[in-house]
Amino acid sequence: MDWLTTIIKIFHWLFFAYSFAAIASYIVLSFISAKETIEYLKRNSFVHYKDILSSSMSPSITIIAPAYNESLNIIENVRSLLSNHYVNYNVIIVNDGSSDDSLEKLIEAYDLVLDEHVYNEKIKTQSLRAGIFKSKNPAFEKLLVVDKENGGKADALNMGLNISNSNYVACIDVDCLLLENALQKMIKPFLEDTDGKVIAAGGVIRIANACKIKQGKLIDVNLPKNLLVQAQILEYIRAFLLGRMAWSRLNGLLVISGAFGIFDKETAIAVGGYDTNTVGEDMEIIVRMRRYMEEQNKKYKVSYIPDPLCWTEAPDNYKSFISQRNRWTRGTIETLKKHRKIGFNPNYGSFGMLSYPYWLVFERLAPIIEVVGIIYFVILVILEVVIWKYALAFLLLAYLFSVVFSIIAIYSEELTYHQYKKKGTGYKLILLSILEPFILHPFVLYAAIKGNYDYYFNKTLKWGKIERKGLATDNED
Amino acid sequence: MVAVFSRFYSPEEFPFLIYLTWVTSFVLFVSFVVLSTYLIKLRKALRRKEKERKDCKLSYEPFIIEYLYSSEDPKVLTERQHEIIETLKPKIQSASQRKVIISILYNLMNEVSGEMAESIKLFYYKTGLIEYGVAKLQNKNWYVIAKGIGELTRFNIKEVHQQVEPFVNHERKEVRSEAHMYMVNLFHFEGLTFLDNLDVPLSEWNQIQLLEVLQKIDNQSICDIKPWLNSKNDTVVIFALKLAEIYNQYEVNTTLLGLLNHPNKNIRIAVIDALTHLYGIEAVEKLKANFNNLSVEEQISFFQMLEKLVMPTDEPFVEAHLFHKNFDIQLLALKILKSINIDKYFEFSGLPAHKKSQAMLKLTPTN
Amino acid sequence: MSKHKIVLAEDNSTLSLLLKFRLEREGYQLFLAEDGNQAIDLIQDEKPDLVLTDVMMPYKSGLEVISHIRNKLEKETPVIVFSSAGQEEMVLKAFSLGANDFMGKPFSPNELVIRVNRLLN
Repeated sequence: MDWLTTIIKIFHWLFFAYSFAAIASYIVLSFISAKETIEYLKRNSFVHYKDILSSSMSPSITIIAPAYNESLNIIENVRSLLSNHYVNYNVIIVNDGSSDDSLEKLIEAYDLVLDEHVYNEKIKTQSLRAGIFKSKNPAFEKLLVVDKENGGKADALNMGLNISNSNYVACIDVDCLLLENALQKMIKPFLEDTDGKVIAAGGVIRIANACKIKQGKLIDVNLPKNLLVQAQILEYIRAFLLGRMAWSRLNGLLVISGAFGIFDKETAIAVGGYDTNTVGEDMEIIVRMRRYMEEQNKKYKVSYIPDPLCWTEAPDNYKSFISQRNRWTRGTIETLKKHRKIGFNPNYGSFGMLSYPYWLVFERLAPIIEVVGIIYFVILVILEVVIWKYALAFLLLAYLFSVVFSIIAIYSEELTYHQYKKKGTGYKLILLSILEPFILHPFVLYAAIKGNYDYYFNKTLKWGKIERKGLATDNED
Repeated sequence: MVAVFSRFYSPEEFPFLIYLTWVTSFVLFVSFVVLSTYLIKLRKALRRKEKERKDCKLSYEPFIIEYLYSSEDPKVLTERQHEIIETLKPKIQSASQRKVIISILYNLMNEVSGEMAESIKLFYYKTGLIEYGVAKLQNKNWYVIAKGIGELTRFNIKEVHQQVEPFVNHERKEVRSEAHMYMVNLFHFEGLTFLDNLDVPLSEWNQIQLLEVLQKIDNQSICDIKPWLNSKNDTVVIFALKLAEIYNQYEVNTTLLGLLNHPNKNIRIAVIDALTHLYGIEAVEKLKANFNNLSVEEQISFFQMLEKLVMPTDEPFVEAHLFHKNFDIQLLALKILKSINIDKYFEFSGLPAHKKSQAMLKLTPTN
Repeated sequence: MSKHKIVLAEDNSTLSLLLKFRLEREGYQLFLAEDGNQAIDLIQDEKPDLVLTDVMMPYKSGLEVISHIRNKLEKETPVIVFSSAGQEEMVLKAFSLGANDFMGKPFSPNELVIRVNRLLN
């Protein structure tokens, strides 16, 4: 049985090396993130956004918000989008073939009338349905409503890209709550950079469940009672304040939340807009834009603004949580596969040699490796060859590491934005970091595996054009 | 995602590894306990600080307001004003309280003008706050310097301009941007002389801020912008072009015509836009003759120029580009044609669909 | 004669306080609001003789406050709007919604008093 021992040993070493590399990468990323956070806070400690709030010379921005069967809240959501404090912006609501009464409601509430609007179809999209609407009321002059045939979120965003006259577009989910100064803060990196070109800027997504919202404004931030949502809050803090912050310093961001990001329109159109054949269009377009810039040999940057500017509802039950993560997994697989040419390709610089491999190994493959590990462990248990003392030692180490990592993430939140100010929340957050590996992780893993399964074996989903496409909320990775 | 389960189990031959695992686990556990305890303390401290700041603000606001209303002449202090200054002076020693007082004054300076602003400035001098502000310029941290310049700008402290000036070329864009703002806020168009020797780029963000300040001031008589139009610094040229447009500098038209051959494409485009705004008719013939050598962006800008400055004699040129490969140019050409020769426009809109350009299809759909 | 009532909506608390002192010295009764919602509540409860409002405020803008007075309450209460530089567009909108006067920030409190007196006496 010599060969079996050898195989087992190789397995051990591979798992060990993987775990070690993962832990090491987390440690390195948190150091980079700490550095970047301090730098960011210094940079912004003396900027008075109020002074520059409203220059009429600032560049125009178009908010593009696709809507599919959002009739319930559409009026309020649009109102919230119209109340931003930036001067030069307009809002395009793309009604993506909704079968409900969204359009009628919008026409009624905002005095809309059909508008003769000539635009160039630079990106091929589904055709218009009822047409393009503008408001008769000057109070809503910023609003444009486009009614088109159903084509999915990416197609709706592309329609917005075609119609927009601005140099910058903010692509957001219609149900997101944007703070009033969100556009100013997000446009800043584009205007500040004199060395190269900023092609996109991503924002942080914060979870709005249980927060008090009145007339489209965030009034009070609360920690929700639902444990699943709480755990996601911790997860988002970790991902946005530690993960993305670090990657932005390395200029290695591969994804901007589909829920809120600003793009340089010219570049977005030059690469052909959003890909309508993937469920991960938010990640895909960034990877494609980066690839385009690399291939053109142009200096570029993907920026990141860590301020809590965009708030949205997270799934509060396991069913929708799992389906959301399932979709994210498929989006990641599709994007990485479509652009596999980049991976480990020195022509693409750190994009090809660092960002892509990291995503492939620690995001894309992590759930698979984990499941293989679990199966392998179970086999060892059945064969009764496990030395429990050792196995438990390693499990405990991994667990404690994840808890401490969460605590560090909480620290970075407290020292920067300190959003959860209420007394007693501190204890809850600590408890959460202890419980989170049990509340969230097993389901994240399950959803990722299901996503892999669906991608490779579930043809109806893979060739998902048969199903009617809704606009699901994609918030995070 | 984070929970990296080590599915590794080791045969007996690695006792050291196991030992290390236990030690690390123990260290992690201890750090968890320590970090958690400190986290709770930190949260408490943050809450307390926030409350202190609020209380502090509430207690100083009335003093400052009383100070402002006790004045009869903004240049001479009354007895009550002296008293208030003496009360607040010792508080200023503490950095946190100083911060609160500065922020109250800072916010007020943005909102009030005239005698009251003068009064606030006097307060800034008499309490000694100015010394702390000026001292920031000597700090070794760039963000403190930037903050200091911002403060001196807001309180209109003109006499430190020699100390601020060297920062206009500072390596950190945040610092130089504050220095530029200082110059223009306090010295208006004269402050723009820093552009003469600017060897670092002036970012778009910076340009917008400067223009915004310039538009606020009452005296709008601008200085000569020609030297900046010929600057070696491309961002300065772009900025000067914006000035030319906003302040209708018709006298620089000749200089602008020369800039149509600038090596930087973005500048050439901005020049066309500026000439359009300034009715630079001479540019039309020049660009028309050179049209095919222009980049598409310049061609679009030129058609936008034509839209405004078109002459009947331009008709053949416009007609020749109705089927240009670029949609925007097609559309502009069609619109211009409509404005100079409506009959011909109807001729084209009557064409069968397969003979139309993209723009004609969109603008004049065939039924 | 009872004092004239004025509602002042302004999110900078120091400025609010400053104007309150100044206007009270002129013999007016002041009600302070920190945001648009509070302003609308105060206007409904106190039925002021004059409203002073900033354009940019949390929750509801000054424009919405004016529109509420003119269209919802259908009142002709005089309104003076404050705006910062670069908000010319806002000022035009404020006038078209029915504002009576405007003052660009930074402004002199003494000038404000003169304008208030003119509208109320």
